Amino acid sequence: MKYAQLIRLLVNRELTLRYKRSVIGIGWTLLNPMLTSFVLWIVFSFVFAGRLPGTQQYAPYLMAGILLITFFSQGVTISAESIASNGPVLTKIYVPPQIFPISTALAGLVNFLIGLIPLSIVCFISGQPLAWTMPLVFIVGICLSFLTAGIGLTLSILYIRYDDMRNIVNVLLMILMYFTPILYPLSVLSPRLQKIIQLNPLTSYLDVFRWAFSNNASATLSDWIFMIITSLLSISIGTLVFKKFWPRTVAML
Amino acid sequence: MAVIEVKNVNLTYRVLKNRTGSIKELFRDAIKGRVRIQNYVALHDVSFSVEQGEVVAILGKNGAGKSTLLKILAGVLPPTKGTSRVDGKIAPMIELGAGFHGEMTGAENVLFYSALMGRDVKTVKSRIPEIGEWAGVTDHMDFPLRTFSSGMVARLAFATATDERAEVLLVDEVLSVGDADFQVKSKERMHRLIKSGAAVVLVSHNMASVRELATRVIWLENGHVKMIGSPAEVVPAYEAN
Repeated sequence: MKYAQLIRLLVNRELTLRYKRSVIGIGWTLLNPMLTSFVLWIVFSFVFAGRLPGTQQYAPYLMAGILLITFFSQGVTISAESIASNGPVLTKIYVPPQIFPISTALAGLVNFLIGLIPLSIVCFISGQPLAWTMPLVFIVGICLSFLTAGIGLTLSILYIRYDDMRNIVNVLLMILMYFTPILYPLSVLSPRLQKIIQLNPLTSYLDVFRWAFSNNASATLSDWIFMIITSLLSISIGTLVFKKFWPRTVAML
Repeated sequence: MAVIEVKNVNLTYRVLKNRTGSIKELFRDAIKGRVRIQNYVALHDVSFSVEQGEVVAILGKNGAGKSTLLKILAGVLPPTKGTSRVDGKIAPMIELGAGFHGEMTGAENVLFYSALMGRDVKTVKSRIPEIGEWAGVTDHMDFPLRTFSSGMVARLAFATATDERAEVLLVDEVLSVGDADFQVKSKERMHRLIKSGAAVVLVSHNMASVRELATRVIWLENGHVKMIGSPAEVVPAYEAN
């Protein structure tokens, strides 16, 4: 592909630029989810630690959730912003604009995969055995990249057209975070609320991820189907919306 | 066959009246039924073609549509109506240094900028020392761009943009940059590029350069083509205007 080299450079830049001025640089990619999870673990382990079924451990359960939601929210916000922030380039040199949100989603995938290292450490420390199904996590990562890239593509058009979209998206992401079983086990909720939470596609992604990585949840076939369908739907809708509205939107940059 | 072919190109910007582009206002105005969108015609029925070996200069006041036309040729802006076709690899020399990032080093920026322009990363990698030397920033290439002076940034951008020969050159007022010495050097390089280019479209307010370089001149006024012809015809008419 003609733009593969450019995408590689963009992903690389995305990964290194964020921590460029820091001492340990990309080491923060390893440290960040651990620290966040540690703080939340101190607070919430009192409430939820004993509530997981069987011998499942709360620490890796929590951290898997943090990794996934970080991937999603950061991926969506950064890729949605990527077109507007690269406006100066896009109005001068022709490159397919889609490569910016896509590169962001791919950088998110790399970060996510790097995050699996500290997650394994936490599994080891807390005594949660890793599962032999671990390679399947890669499928979750790919699906999540499609999901974020698709939403990012759609939002990038809206971000250019309406300035206040950013604030709305931030609030929606926060709501979504509480509607995803990151901190709490699903079983602590009432059956009615559980049904609502299960309508959230991210719940399925998270179930599959936790199950595949360390048997820290149970994933059903419908979780898999829901995950794959939403990711394909998201990337196709995003691509179509972008294609349709871009010609008129670029004139606004 | 013409290298560049522009046929009946129209470009209409949709400008939001009392523009804030917020959803709140959109709701309010939609409810009140107020029309907010105003069309601004930047180019109106522009047609021309550029043959192999031609240097076409575009003249016009600010806001006449020159830059818009270059953007259409660069393929960045799709025309609202009409078609624009360009054969061959395009080198857009429009506000050089687009995509430069302060936190990346000089060398990284050269690589990224070149990749944006569609050049092969491997080839560029081997060219970086030479580009840095030509720009006179060899000692700084491994430092972040934010430590460069603005003149150094401009020189590096120019050196990178002009490093590879392209078939079609779109030039927006970047005939020379930097201090006096570098201006001579960059002007000379630019002129050489223009003369060796397969087809060149040039926007400039410098009539001396236009007279020297152009083989044909297009005069734009308010988005219309007012006059097309040889520099000897069009430049005096434009200057008299």
